[in-house]
Amino acid sequence: MPSPAEFAPLRAPLSHPGWQLWPGLLLAAAFVALAGLGLGSLLSAAEELNPSSVLGSRYLRGVVAFTLWQAGLSVLLSLALALAVARALARHPHFPGRTLLLRLMELSLVLPTIVAVSGIISVYGRQGWFTGLLEHVAPGHSWNLYGLNGIVLAHVFFNAPLAGRIMLQALESLPEPRLRMASQLGLRGWWLWRAVEWPALKPVLPGLSALVFTLCFTSFAIIMTLGGGPSSTTLEVAIYQALRFEFDFAQAALLAIIQLLICGSLWLVVFRSRLDSTLLPNRRFAFSAPLKTWPGLALANALLLGIFALFLLAPLAAIVVRGLPALWPVHGLPPVYQQLLPATGRSLLIALPAGAGAVILALLTLAASQKAQGPLTRTLPSVTGYLPLIVPPLVLGTGLFILLRPSLGNSAQGWVLVSVINGLMAVPFVLQVLRGPLNNQDKSTLQQADQLGILGWYRWRWLYWPRLRRPVALALAYGVALSLGDFGVIALFGSPGEPTLPMLLYQQLGSYQVANAAGTGLWLLLCLLAIFTTLTRVSRPAPRPRGQPRMLAGAEPDHA
Amino acid sequence: MRLPVLAAISLAVSFTLSEARAAQELNVYTHPSFAAEWGPGPAVKEAFEKQCDCTLNYTVLDSGGDILQRLRLEGSSSQADVVLGLDTGTMEMARQTGLLAPHSRKLDNLSLPVDWQDDIFVPYDWGYFAFVYDTEQLPNPPETLEALINAPDDLKIIIQDPRTSTPGLGLLLWMHAVYGDQAGAKWRQLSGKILTTTQSWSDGYFSLFMNGEAPMILSYSTSPAYHMAIDKTDRYQAALFEEGHYLQVEVAALVKSSEHQELAREFLDFMHTPAFQRHIPLKNVMYPAIDLGDELPQVFNRLIEPAQTFYIEPATVADQRRELVNEWLNALTR
Repeated sequence: MPSPAEFAPLRAPLSHPGWQLWPGLLLAAAFVALAGLGLGSLLSAAEELNPSSVLGSRYLRGVVAFTLWQAGLSVLLSLALALAVARALARHPHFPGRTLLLRLMELSLVLPTIVAVSGIISVYGRQGWFTGLLEHVAPGHSWNLYGLNGIVLAHVFFNAPLAGRIMLQALESLPEPRLRMASQLGLRGWWLWRAVEWPALKPVLPGLSALVFTLCFTSFAIIMTLGGGPSSTTLEVAIYQALRFEFDFAQAALLAIIQLLICGSLWLVVFRSRLDSTLLPNRRFAFSAPLKTWPGLALANALLLGIFALFLLAPLAAIVVRGLPALWPVHGLPPVYQQLLPATGRSLLIALPAGAGAVILALLTLAASQKAQGPLTRTLPSVTGYLPLIVPPLVLGTGLFILLRPSLGNSAQGWVLVSVINGLMAVPFVLQVLRGPLNNQDKSTLQQADQLGILGWYRWRWLYWPRLRRPVALALAYGVALSLGDFGVIALFGSPGEPTLPMLLYQQLGSYQVANAAGTGLWLLLCLLAIFTTLTRVSRPAPRPRGQPRMLAGAEPDHA
Repeated sequence: MRLPVLAAISLAVSFTLSEARAAQELNVYTHPSFAAEWGPGPAVKEAFEKQCDCTLNYTVLDSGGDILQRLRLEGSSSQADVVLGLDTGTMEMARQTGLLAPHSRKLDNLSLPVDWQDDIFVPYDWGYFAFVYDTEQLPNPPETLEALINAPDDLKIIIQDPRTSTPGLGLLLWMHAVYGDQAGAKWRQLSGKILTTTQSWSDGYFSLFMNGEAPMILSYSTSPAYHMAIDKTDRYQAALFEEGHYLQVEVAALVKSSEHQELAREFLDFMHTPAFQRHIPLKNVMYPAIDLGDELPQVFNRLIEPAQTFYIEPATVADQRRELVNEWLNALTR
């Protein structure tokens, strides 16, 4: 294989600086326009706008307060758990079951809400395993899933694993010299945290907190199912009600604007603070530094990871137990496969391009935000990273529909559209996975590359790709899995009779096919697991080609 | 030589002509449980295509509300010829769009608990809202709505949110029909028994009720028919309340801008034939809109039969909905 230097005299493909800037900017601008169009179309359809009707309502003020409160609480607990787990995992890079635990951590976020919630209820509900156990241990306990307990529990179940995964990635991309130094100095406890771990986590924390906060802020079905009653209502519900039942476009638009303002200002703060944080240099040599730990810490970590694994596994086990009877071949293949298999095919047809699109979009966005100079052009690309989360899908869908309606002809176009939107919706998650590894690219390596003229495609191929192939695979898995489990978008645009997997699930639920629905839920779980396993396996590094600089190939963080 | 050529040409022409006629398409907007493979949709399509020499296409939208939303967004350029899957809760909004056309049918063979006089909406099935209970957990369910409201708080029920779900709205109207101005106070009394309020019927039924989380759930009086006929179990039954039950009617209507008015009317007529209606009882799990006679599955004779039917005119519902929802919110969030 030729060494990168041989390409230097040629003009590398895609090496014009504009390639790093404009695609990301244009995409972001398009997205802003879309969201604006959705809101605008609602506002223009509204007869009169009366902000005082919203702000003056005791109930709606309560909704906003509750939404903020539960989201704040969920973020705190999710991040605290994630932090403890990520540190424990970083300390112990090799133990049996570690890979499995990481896979589990990837799964929980992408599980369709209804499947995960049914698992959570089987464990923590009134008839659940956990509750039964509690009854033995502490009779007369006052555990009740329904209410704030259930909301926060479910939010931690969904978000802590993702947060932990991203924190672990940050910890694992720690510069090796720094680790070696820490090891030589015998740093541990607070000092290790202060000198090594905190600086690694600091750059990812603001974005991560904002992501989890936004997810919990806009959470909807979880809150209604586990929240107990209308005193647990989020803004998203109020928007849904206004759009779907009242056709009160003015109210819907006003509420959407409130949501945009709250979450948008949060992201603005995050964005500003992230600009200040220094990017870590990242050069890694083949050296593994054993870090000193307190004597009892290994045991405590083992206990923590064990409990965390149980926390993630128990609801999944419940899904398996409930779903297996429908899928298990007793007398040949159950007829349910005749629906499952084609639905899986259709789902993949939508999800694979959507996942790939999300990764490309995220990379372009990150490139543009690195490259951009002016204040506006710096802010714009990051918009793609959070707008999909805070613009209510119904609002976005309405905007898109109005924009595309004249050309919405056959169902094939509809499916392309669903794929595109699913891809867009996955960008914020994909972005979180890719941001750290991409930004952590070693400064001096980059300078070297500049001097050697390794630009454009070659720069990507030789500098970024070796370091990014695993994060990209993980990001792709998230993108594909999120689209695979999505129901909202496809339901919004309507579809011909042939269902995708989540649609099949909802159809079964809507027609009393409880056993089959449990089977479909399990099948979805298995599909998601297969996607993560396949993609992370494929992305394992190939044997190092001879002649390639050791530093570049070795710079890949180990976190599969 | 020439004759076979002519014959071939005329054959080809007649073939294309019949192709052209068969290419007439009827687009129906509907919701998932109708169009699902095991729903009435596929069988209805097959039966109608046999008689109409046309193609019947479904566009599946999430719910009745979404069908209406789509119709509003598309306006007069809608591709829909027929909308199927609206109900008494969304009817009035749909009427006010002005996008639907009068059906001009007689509707004289209907078999509904109420006298149906509507020039736009054609019913295709109906049912009562009811609390379905698990006989193993709750051998003696309350016999009146009042008894449920006064039951001790350890009897747990699951309901749906009237802001997001049809049965949820149904219970709101049911309470209003029985208690009028007192409904708010009754809701407060009931609140201790509400385990949780789910977004949709399926969330509650699948995740909670079937997991055994509560012995009672707000559902339809016809739900046990499915469990008895398909699951072969008598475990789940509907509680008959002496006060009476609230009625839900599902309707279809003709879209004004449709270019296939005649075919669409043919479909509405077809809706009231046994060829369509025989798929309703077990595939949509509702009562058929016409008298099916012997074709009505046996289990339907074992369902509860309310002594009194509550039904509020859709126009009144549309006027009062927001007020009632606010009353409910105030009662339960205080």
